[in-house]
Amino acid sequence: MNKHQTMTGLRLSCAAAVLALTACASPDQAPATADVAVSRHAVENAVSAGAADLAPAEITAARDKMIRANQALAARDYKLARELAVQAQADAKLAQSKAASAKATAASTQLNEDLRVLREEVDRANTQ
Amino acid sequence: MKNRKSAVSILAAAVLAAACASAPVTTPTLDQARSDFVSANNNPQVSTYAPMEFKQASEALDQANQAAARRESLSDVDRLAYVAKQRIATAQEVAKAKAAEANIADASRQRDQVRLEARTAEADRAKRDAEAAQAAAQQAQAQAQATMQQNAALTERAAQLESLLNDIQAVKTERGYVVTIGDVLFATDQATLNPNGTSTLRKLADVMSQNPNRTVLVEGFTDSTGSASHNQDLSQRRAEAVATALGQMGVARDRISMKAYGQAFPVASNDNASGRQQNRRVEIVLSNEGAQIPPRAAMR
Repeated sequence: MNKHQTMTGLRLSCAAAVLALTACASPDQAPATADVAVSRHAVENAVSAGAADLAPAEITAARDKMIRANQALAARDYKLARELAVQAQADAKLAQSKAASAKATAASTQLNEDLRVLREEVDRANTQ
Repeated sequence: MKNRKSAVSILAAAVLAAACASAPVTTPTLDQARSDFVSANNNPQVSTYAPMEFKQASEALDQANQAAARRESLSDVDRLAYVAKQRIATAQEVAKAKAAEANIADASRQRDQVRLEARTAEADRAKRDAEAAQAAAQQAQAQAQATMQQNAALTERAAQLESLLNDIQAVKTERGYVVTIGDVLFATDQATLNPNGTSTLRKLADVMSQNPNRTVLVEGFTDSTGSASHNQDLSQRRAEAVATALGQMGVARDRISMKAYGQAFPVASNDNASGRQQNRRVEIVLSNEGAQIPPRAAMR
């Protein structure tokens, strides 16, 4: 967790540095770069939440849009880069929440089953 | 005619243009996003567990709706609608996850409660079992003690009986104990008991009062001297005398049977005085506990 936070901090610093360096290049370049950085972070969070297994369609869409956002950045199409970054972020957040709800639902179902079995055992024991 | 036709065309074009101007722009994605929004808005779990995500989704849908109202390009509307749709879905998933987590917490509490109840019930069962086992053990002990006391009483009674029967020289046989009232206990050729005879009968009467499930059979015998009828009569009178004496000593008459055999069943030779004396006798058979006395004929 600490490592993850440090990494996150480092990434944000890098993003800030890139932002500072490129600030004077174009009025649209800085916010586009920041949006892409935030989206990349969202994709990484989704992957560490297990989205690759639990929400493959959403995480694939998010990654695809990330790649295209980076290509747009390189081509200095900052408007398209921002649009793709915002969509990638929406996809990544959905992927992450899907993975989380799948895990919680599975755990909840398992616990309900455990509880049912336990109640049966107790009832059996009590009627003996 | 031609003018009229062109006027209709102009009117149609105007209507078409007006229709285009007022028709709202929409896309399948925007329609889908609006429909998803209604579902999310109707899901109470969303307002309970994902209010922030739902607010962000609403804002995204507002942007898409505004773009549509401003008749922006379909691709721009579609792009904004897509973001809104994904955020609405995110709000649904977050609500689902939080609801599942709430259920996990609730089920965990219930599980702890059930386990606690199960342990309590088990402890109660164990306590009941232990109490039942203890009660059973106490009962068994009490029963064993009662049996022991009963056995001791029976042994004591048996010993008393043995001692009394010993005193009157009772002999144990298959028919029961046999007490012989010898000739010497009667007056010569008479059916009158002398004091020694009475004393022996009194001890037998004691035995009978202590053993109410026993009966007696009084059997009279003589030697072969004299006529058979005289002997039959004498044995009958002596047996009667004994039965009467026992009756007077408190033994119920229905417990006393009687039989006279005369000179039959000698126990010794009638050729000499001592043998004849042994043959002149009354035998009293004391039944075994609660049993019938087998008839003499069956023994021979």
